[in-house]
Amino acid sequence: MTDQNNPLIVPCKTLEEDLVLFHYGDLAGSERDTLQSHLNDCTGCAAYLRELGNLLPLTVKADEPAQTFWNDYSRELRHKLDATMEKKPWWQNLAVIFQPRLLSAAAGAAVVAIALAFTLGKGVWPTKDIPHDDETMMEALPVAENLEFFKAMDVLDDLDLLESMGSQGGAA
Amino acid sequence: MNPRDEELVASAQRGDRGAFEELVERHKHKAYHIAFDFARDREEAKDLSQEAFLKAFSNLRNFDGRSSFYTWFYRILVNLCLDYKRRQKRRPAEEFDETVEHQLDPSHQPSMPMSPDQHVLAGQISHKVGVALQALPPKQRTAFILKNHQGLSIKEIAEMMQTAEGTVKVHLHRAVTALRQRLAEFA
Repeated sequence: MTDQNNPLIVPCKTLEEDLVLFHYGDLAGSERDTLQSHLNDCTGCAAYLRELGNLLPLTVKADEPAQTFWNDYSRELRHKLDATMEKKPWWQNLAVIFQPRLLSAAAGAAVVAIALAFTLGKGVWPTKDIPHDDETMMEALPVAENLEFFKAMDVLDDLDLLESMGSQGGAA
Repeated sequence: MNPRDEELVASAQRGDRGAFEELVERHKHKAYHIAFDFARDREEAKDLSQEAFLKAFSNLRNFDGRSSFYTWFYRILVNLCLDYKRRQKRRPAEEFDETVEHQLDPSHQPSMPMSPDQHVLAGQISHKVGVALQALPPKQRTAFILKNHQGLSIKEIAEMMQTAEGTVKVHLHRAVTALRQRLAEFA
């Protein structure tokens, strides 16, 4: 074990990643051969590799439960699977409703219902009040009569003008 | 001759519950050990690995066989473990220490008997390693645990983490560098 105050062993910076892979046996072919020959000459890299070999296995925490644990594990999981199969989540129930086959049938039925409602319900539902032709005539007639009245008034105005012109001419 | 995982998955997808239970029997040990490496607690590891099996069972219809069942299932498990660690991070440090101390209980580890000195040293190491692993970013921790503890190949880890092999190598290197600095006294 190294002293806590000692500086860390320094390997060649460019080879550090390869050294980690070398430690795990994940460096192959020419890369492995090149590093292997480098390790014969470089004390820093060789020491680094030894340090990884000492340190990394310490991080593994072994746990080997007894056989009874594994028996319980399987039994417990079977019960949980039973519960999962019995109790479907709410979204799966919704998914049944929204299955493509059911959804297209429902959409078709809705279109037919709307078409029937428009066809059969035409005389049943109240529509927006549109004035009938007779009523329109009844409203238009007074306006027409008034128009005649105003036209007659215009003629009377003209007669007054002629009379006044005539009297002026007679006097002259 | 035992059926392959893919054949069992196909049977399970057709509703054969027994086929799925066979998959559980095949993978439960490895699943538990991966979960234990993340949680460092027996009960938590059991719950996490069982939850992964349940999730795989519920989503079996979505498994399209593009990757192996092994890769697909362990991806589910690792994601659950990372979620668990995120939740753990919100717990106070004292609680984490208690968990680690609980692990040091001799009755908790059915390994070779240790002397009192060895026991103390093992406790110190375990505690420091737990803290050091906890401090790693999730991707570095995942790459490190799958490589160092489970011995998976870089290719397998890349598939599980859905990333490039080069990225896994970088994560692994950074994790080792960080742990080396934190655990220098034990080197």
